[in-house]
Amino acid sequence: MPATGLTFSADGNTATLQMTNVPIIDQPRWPALDAETTPAVMDFRLVFKSTDEPVKYEDPTRQYRFEGFKAGAQLEATMRVPAIDFTFTTDPLETSRCDFAVMGTEVNGKYYEAASGR
Amino acid sequence: MALALDRQPTVRTRMTRPYSHERRAELDLNRRRWLKLGVASLLVASWPGRLLHAQSPPLSCSPPIPPNHAPSNGGPCPYPIPWLDKNGNHNQSPMPDVELSNIYHFQGKLARCNGFHGMGTDNKGHRLAWGTPTTDYSYMAGEYWAARQAHHAIFAHT
Repeated sequence: MPATGLTFSADGNTATLQMTNVPIIDQPRWPALDAETTPAVMDFRLVFKSTDEPVKYEDPTRQYRFEGFKAGAQLEATMRVPAIDFTFTTDPLETSRCDFAVMGTEVNGKYYEAASGR
Repeated sequence: MALALDRQPTVRTRMTRPYSHERRAELDLNRRRWLKLGVASLLVASWPGRLLHAQSPPLSCSPPIPPNHAPSNGGPCPYPIPWLDKNGNHNQSPMPDVELSNIYHFQGKLARCNGFHGMGTDNKGHRLAWGTPTTDYSYMAGEYWAARQAHHAIFAHT
């Protein structure tokens, strides 16, 4: 583990989530109800970088509001499934892409009305 | 929620091809063979003083039995999104104009992403594609309300 699992750049535009030895499951036949599982472990580093394109998703009837920016997100990871002697390591972070990412702030539930008055 | 790997070895040159509808169709077909790492870990650490420890002991959601006739205010675990929970889901795939949070009664920082795609190498040297439209990650860092009091935590959805 790094000194912090979730870190932000000084300007708040970049967030890095990094974790090691995360217990996961290898479940090749997911989402079948009887899909068997095998214990596995994962290390990963995920980096969000916001753009300057603002977004706001709000539904007063469901009492939520998200305000932030569209973002890019990239991931590098290593997965180990000891029972089948399988290890997979992704290419470096810069080579990955995702189709949708946002980062910002959310208020919902009991906090929704209170935040509306700010 | 799931990170999928295509165990069919792929040639290195596929990495450099422009992404296209044909490429997507090809990936969709291969997806049935993919190893799916169903990663449904929800990890929490106290905010802001501690680290995100994957080995953190699971938080008991059971309401404590109050001693000495003290009031009972429920369990300390986050409250699910009501209209998702009724269908047995704790979250929905991130996209515009949907509730992105996994927790009701929450305020704080949140980021979500999905639709990853990339390449990697297994321990046999095979080049494999990874990622599906549902390969999603997120963090939530802030305050949630449970047991009639505010709690501060960081959550990671992998």
